[in-house]
Amino acid sequence: MTEVNRNKVKKKSIKKRLNKGTKQWLEVLPFIGIGIILFSVLVLFPQIKNLYMAITDYSIMPGHVNTFVGLINFKKALFGFSVPGSDSYFFWIAFRNNILAILVTVPGQLVLGLLVAVLINGVKYGKNIYKVLFYLAVICDWVVVSNIFNYIFQSDKAGLVNYLLIKAHLISAPIAWLQNAWTANAVIWIFCIWKGVGWVMLIYTAALQGISKDLYEAAQIDGANVFQQFFRITLPSLKNTTFFLIINLTIGAMGIFIQVFLLTQGGPIGTTDVLINYSYTRAFKYFEFGYGAAVSILTGLFVFSLSMTCKKYMRYGQEN
Amino acid sequence: MKNKKLLTCVVSALMTASMLAGCGSKAPTSSSTTNKQEKVNLVFWNAYSESENKVMKEKVIPKFEADHPNIKVKSVQMPNDGLKQQVIQAISGNSSPDLMRMDIIWTPEFAKMGALTDITGLDGFSALKDGFFQGPLQTNFLEGKYYGMPLDTNTKSGIYSKKVLAQVGLTEPPKTYEELLSVAGKLNKDQYLIGCDGASPWSLNPYFLSFGGKITDEKNTVATGYLNSQASIDALTKLVGLYDKKILGPCLLGGKPDKWGGVTTDKYLMIDDGPWFFTGEKPEQTATVVSATLPTGVAGSISVVGGENVVMFKNAKHPKETWEFAKFLVSDFSQTTMEVEAANIPTVQAVANSPAVLAVPNVKTYIEQLKTASPRTPSANWEKINDKISIEWESAFRHKKTPIQALNDACKAVDPLLQ
Repeated sequence: MTEVNRNKVKKKSIKKRLNKGTKQWLEVLPFIGIGIILFSVLVLFPQIKNLYMAITDYSIMPGHVNTFVGLINFKKALFGFSVPGSDSYFFWIAFRNNILAILVTVPGQLVLGLLVAVLINGVKYGKNIYKVLFYLAVICDWVVVSNIFNYIFQSDKAGLVNYLLIKAHLISAPIAWLQNAWTANAVIWIFCIWKGVGWVMLIYTAALQGISKDLYEAAQIDGANVFQQFFRITLPSLKNTTFFLIINLTIGAMGIFIQVFLLTQGGPIGTTDVLINYSYTRAFKYFEFGYGAAVSILTGLFVFSLSMTCKKYMRYGQEN
Repeated sequence: MKNKKLLTCVVSALMTASMLAGCGSKAPTSSSTTNKQEKVNLVFWNAYSESENKVMKEKVIPKFEADHPNIKVKSVQMPNDGLKQQVIQAISGNSSPDLMRMDIIWTPEFAKMGALTDITGLDGFSALKDGFFQGPLQTNFLEGKYYGMPLDTNTKSGIYSKKVLAQVGLTEPPKTYEELLSVAGKLNKDQYLIGCDGASPWSLNPYFLSFGGKITDEKNTVATGYLNSQASIDALTKLVGLYDKKILGPCLLGGKPDKWGGVTTDKYLMIDDGPWFFTGEKPEQTATVVSATLPTGVAGSISVVGGENVVMFKNAKHPKETWEFAKFLVSDFSQTTMEVEAANIPTVQAVANSPAVLAVPNVKTYIEQLKTASPRTPSANWEKINDKISIEWESAFRHKKTPIQALNDACKAVDPLLQ
């Protein structure tokens, strides 16, 4: 074929392909159109606006001209940690608290969730009742439970936890749970673990159903006891589920907000603050919307890179 | 094929319509019709309690509507929690109310943001200006202009437990802190002399200022030299010492018993609180206490000023009618009614000193205390200043810093915010 003919054929096929593509889109659009609109309005647009707020001198007044300020808000958060009382100082404390939350609540929820799932799996009657009871914690409202936790961890000897600990002779004087940094953090972590165990249990229960009974029978014939069966059969089979849960629980630990907002407000002196609560306070209490937006973007970037790293490791594990 | 296309179009149109129906903008707050009788609807946000809102809706607003037949006012009772965030949302979404009863602390912040109407030149304001208590009026003043009028003021005064007073042998509340501290030894182990509920300016100022402390100079431009003066250091050192000796109760750092629970169950001899204690607690609890001004310290009996201003939002659709209602809220009728029936202390001096108001039980104590009460620094950055000072004071009480260190650090943090 000559050069000219070949081009004509190419052009025709592009036009044809465009037409075909447009036709296909038009046919599908009524069904996915609403999803696209919702996504654009509720997810995409806020992300772009958030970035806009972080890099301009943003004011909520309608009609205000927002001047571009570059990365100044990000610098404010990241640099200057050595100056106690500075914005960066409190930012890094909040970041530290999030990391500690990951290190405490993720293993806590995994271990307890798995334990409960395995125990429920071994029960003959009433499996569903136990599952419902554990899952109730997950569906309870955060606000309601925060108030209840406030009461049971009250700092005088009439608070439920103090009363029981004193009765059991484990402590001699009541502990001011929410007034000291580390006990307050412990209360928040206990809250997170308590709330998440039910969900982890449910996921593991589903995964446990997928393990073939033949493996256990074979092991029993070979003389393996319960613990050996658990560590040699159950755990390795649950590897993928565990990786999935680790990623989700880590993202959850980075997103802690309501517990801190309602129980300690980040106090005492910012030592129990977490990134989301910090960003919220700076934006809605001090009207520093740009700075709050910058902190939320930094949080998002961290979560994203952490998840990607976990995923890569998981894929590496899978190949092995 | 055609039918299928038609069907998909109809279905998608229906789905889009049903989704967008939920996205409609808020119904306009005022009907902007051009009828002969233009009926104007105003929206008035406030955080009144149930009983206060009842008085507003049943006594004050009907009188206004009777005098102005073409204006209807809707009093929207907002919850206290998250109120600031709701105002922010309303402003940024262009759906703010016409006017609001706003905390005096927030007024400079929102004025600085450009959300409030400048009322300095409005008809009738200059005549009203001089009739207000000057302290509350100043909370509306920013960069040469006024952005609201003081609506009600309050302060915290002393509330003493009758039983504990008798227990320590006092026939009436003590007049000086020396007298108060001298009876500390007569309390039991689980009782405390004073219940102060925090290490923030609102909570601690009545004690800090009475003991000689200062926050800034008179012009509110600098903290160094005042917040860390020797007098302030002595005041804070004394307070930290009192907390360590268990004279100041555990509620200072969030422990139990809390103020109200403590004074009504004989755990605290004295607490400081505002007139809302008497409308908030049950009658059987308020009967266990007696109200009197706070004791005098080395600098006097200096309490802290609170209160609310009435402010108009710039985006109000009917500024003329809104201003009419705002003026009505500071008129003699409204101010007297809200005091006599809802314990809202008037900001108009003539009304506050009228026989009708002074006859209300407990009001006299608060008006007496108001005479020497000191407002918190009016500044668009007050929330930040408040938090910086609170953090340093808390560090001192927790012995993370000495009082001198804490106050020096506070000055360093507060000075740039006062510029």
